[in-house]
Amino acid sequence: MMDYEIVVGLEVHAELNTNSKIYCSCNNEFGLEVNSQCCPICMGMPGTLPTLNEQVVESAIRMGHALNCSINRICKQDRKNYFYPDLPKAYQISQFDIPLCENGYVDILVDGIEKRIGVTRIHIEEDAGKLLHSDTFDGSLVDFNRCGVPLIEIVSEPDIRSSTEAKAYLEAIKSILQYIDISDCKMQEGSIRCDVNVSVMKRGSNEFGTRVEMKNINSFSGAVHAIDYEANRQMEVLENGGVITQETRRWDDTAGKNVLLRSKEDAHDYRYFPEPDLLTIVLEEDYVNGLKQSIPELPNKKIMRFVKELGLLQADATSIVENIDKCRIFEDTLKAGNCSAKAVSNWVLGDISKIMNETNQPIEHTTKLTATKLAELIQTIESGKISNAAGKKVFEVILKEDKQVADIIKELGLEQISDQNALEQVVNTVMESNTKSIEDYKNGKTNALGFLTGQCMKATKGQGNPAKLKELILNYIQTH
Amino acid sequence: MEMYQYTATELSTMLKEKKCSAVEITKSVIDRIHAVEDKVKAFITVTEDVALQKAEEVDKKIANQQPISELAGIPIAIKDNICTKGVATTCASKMLEHFVPPYNATVIEKLNACDYVPIGKVNMDEFAMGSSTETSYFEKTKNPHDFNRVPGGSSGGSAACVGAGEAVLSLGSDTGGSIRLPASYCGVVGLKPTYSSVSRYGLVAFASSLDQIGPMGRSVSDVAMLYSAICGRDAHDATSAIREYPDFKANLNCDVKGKVIGIPKEYFGEGVSEVVRKNVMQVAKELEKNGAVLREISLPSTGYALSAYYIISSAEASSNLARFDGVKYGYRTAEYNSLIEMYEKTRSEGFGDEVKRRILLGTFVLSSGYYDAYYKRAKLLQQQTTKEFHQEFEKCDVILTPTAPDTAFKIGENINDPLKMYATDICTINVNIAGLPAISVPCGKDENHLPIGVQLIGPKFSEQTLLNTAFAYEQIVGGFSCIPELN
Amino acid sequence: MKVDIRHIAKLSRLQVKEEEIQKFEQEMEQIVSMVENLPQLDDTGALIDVNHPMVMREDVAQHHFKREELLKNAPQIKAGCVVVPKIVD
Repeated sequence: MMDYEIVVGLEVHAELNTNSKIYCSCNNEFGLEVNSQCCPICMGMPGTLPTLNEQVVESAIRMGHALNCSINRICKQDRKNYFYPDLPKAYQISQFDIPLCENGYVDILVDGIEKRIGVTRIHIEEDAGKLLHSDTFDGSLVDFNRCGVPLIEIVSEPDIRSSTEAKAYLEAIKSILQYIDISDCKMQEGSIRCDVNVSVMKRGSNEFGTRVEMKNINSFSGAVHAIDYEANRQMEVLENGGVITQETRRWDDTAGKNVLLRSKEDAHDYRYFPEPDLLTIVLEEDYVNGLKQSIPELPNKKIMRFVKELGLLQADATSIVENIDKCRIFEDTLKAGNCSAKAVSNWVLGDISKIMNETNQPIEHTTKLTATKLAELIQTIESGKISNAAGKKVFEVILKEDKQVADIIKELGLEQISDQNALEQVVNTVMESNTKSIEDYKNGKTNALGFLTGQCMKATKGQGNPAKLKELILNYIQTH
Repeated sequence: MEMYQYTATELSTMLKEKKCSAVEITKSVIDRIHAVEDKVKAFITVTEDVALQKAEEVDKKIANQQPISELAGIPIAIKDNICTKGVATTCASKMLEHFVPPYNATVIEKLNACDYVPIGKVNMDEFAMGSSTETSYFEKTKNPHDFNRVPGGSSGGSAACVGAGEAVLSLGSDTGGSIRLPASYCGVVGLKPTYSSVSRYGLVAFASSLDQIGPMGRSVSDVAMLYSAICGRDAHDATSAIREYPDFKANLNCDVKGKVIGIPKEYFGEGVSEVVRKNVMQVAKELEKNGAVLREISLPSTGYALSAYYIISSAEASSNLARFDGVKYGYRTAEYNSLIEMYEKTRSEGFGDEVKRRILLGTFVLSSGYYDAYYKRAKLLQQQTTKEFHQEFEKCDVILTPTAPDTAFKIGENINDPLKMYATDICTINVNIAGLPAISVPCGKDENHLPIGVQLIGPKFSEQTLLNTAFAYEQIVGGFSCIPELN
Repeated sequence: MKVDIRHIAKLSRLQVKEEEIQKFEQEMEQIVSMVENLPQLDDTGALIDVNHPMVMREDVAQHHFKREELLKNAPQIKAGCVVVPKIVD
């Protein structure tokens, strides 16, 4: 097969976590009883009118800032007209020619290499309802709860060249949404979804091929499969002398393939025109600029800082940053005490991740652990006051009980003995009753040292500082 | 004189002075409805029981010496495209024959707060598309001055019921002349307010950027009173203006000295009947006699207004009426095998021809490849028209024109010629295009005893000036005798 | 200007009878031709009105509608939902 390059553009839809819907005051909440979060406005009753939620605009501008976009301080909303049972007004209020944000970019890391992906635009719009199907019933049911849930659509430039890059881009977008706290980003609830545009071109060519749009992609791994599948399909068509036609295909995740949804001829004619029920959005410069201050350090910048300044491995830094809750406990712990980033990273990616991956919640929500206590624990270990093994025991207690680290150590009697005189006495006693082993060691049986250390540990009930004990044993052997 | 014959202004005073009760007024109006509705057919729904109940409440308030508003106890009819909670709101369409809104339009909430008496919902052209009320799915409303003639439209029921004494006041809606044209044909007063001054929340949309609810009555003072009650900022309508409004009725003043009245030559040309021209000019002369100054002005874009209007209003209508798809409310066809079939049959059976015609036109002008040529061009013309009015209002306070080129036509006369029908709106359309306020006031009758209307147009938010000028004319002619004998 | 009524009707989800097509076509072409007489206007000032900025709504959730009230007008309901013909996509 010829050598092809894949060209991908992504359209990400993210539901915003506002209190109320975009054009009415209904609750913006997922998963409640069907048709219980509706009103005449979001059900498109005759005579009703939309009123724009200011928080939607604010969230979209913040995303615009996070993706380095220019913000259109004067913009409008438009109607996108089409018939479907989940769209009660038979038009979706969206933005057509003047989006709220445009011309941005996001830097992603693929195999350790940074790449910049252009962001064409971000616009605000309303979500549609949901259709429910049942095998036992000859009809479809419409639940309007999701109608009017605020969405932003983030459209990328066709800068993505592989499914791996696509995944990295999607993950970057998702974590940014989480870091600026404007979306819940729950894939399983459909709060973040994407459409994919794929084309292929011969490597080295600078002329894009005909693009095919794919709908119904419900997960990031689905996006990867869908892109690979579609790229292969197109390459096969081209290799067999065929041509790619502009069309929309539907991805079937279970079957792992896509099918034709509609051809270019059947493409929707959305008849966009300015929404006459809403006036122009006019934003003050100070307001728009002020929102820039609310953007925290973004995940891609964080990863780079963790690697460069804290000396973490890129893989570790990425694992921490990818999960906003892990990152928070990581950074808070570093702030709370004087401990090494490496040690904190090990704890966060080890024992803490184990719990968080099970509960899918921040560690502080499911246990009694706090950043302060974790910092204290790590400091105590690093100072040699307790052993690593003892640290694990303390950790188990911290999770369940609201106690001070020092108290737990005392209660469990885990404090490590590092006192020179105390340890010398122990060593002397053990040595005197194990002269045979000393002989063995002197005769080259080096594993006798392990036995002697073990005996000393036993004598200290496991609390002797093993490094110091070893040192004293060797010293004893040499001097006797 | 029967109670139903009085104006709202008179009745309000009589109630306050305890010369009559709200129940007496309401009963008189209901009796009148029983007596003449057979012939006039202004109503789609008469809410007799609710009206009487409300009237009793008002009488109780009066008896308890509780403060009441000027509109308390006044029977008001509501155009059937304004949503009334619990009372069918049909838009005179088969599509919404059984639709009962779960909420009240803002104007209804406001009138409720005034303790108005809701006498019923009145007929109109289907979805307010028409100039004769003939496109109603239910019935053809008759002009009270000649039952063989149309009352005008689309607020034909609103005008006819007030003109026939079946209501004291009414609310209509005006997208291209739908309040003023029927007011003129039925010999009553109708105000199309400045776009954005009355909330559209709960008005079933025809053309969102042009629609405006307005008052109709038998005197200028009545219309001022009702307008004061319904205007104002509404947080539910993002397009509603943020400003304070005066008490228009309290501020009525008939002094027109020094007021400059602009006469645009384009509104008196070909197509305007001789008798209309004569009577309308007579109004100008009367005002001049009382100190006003007449001035010829020019609005050159007038001739293009009709096409711009049909493009813009149809485009918006095609989108606004797409929601009537048989899914959530309204009519659904009986038999279908697929979603598409359900949509197409529902909409084809539920809408009348005029509505379909406009949906098709609107869909066409918005469709791919035609937007710039039609919709965008029409919007640019709208800007141009607005600019022209703005310029002319630097030379005059009020513009005076006929409301319609001719008096009421015969039922069926224009129904098969849409373009001829559309031409009846020629004098009123520009006002909507420019978002201006205008009032239509009776000014005599033609040889067939059919009322003629004069239209006064003002700059945005100049309702007080318009009402004052109309009030001055009303004083000069000694009031309008609106209600004809209907025997 | 030729207007393709069949296509427009499809977009509008309306059925137009064969015998009506010509009538609608003629009527619409008349209306459309009126537009073609419109003067060419300067369109440098975009169709966006900056003089009337919109006041937005505060993000406060309020809820006061019962499902029964909202579905009262629906032609067919089942299990708290509106019913439509089975959708196969």
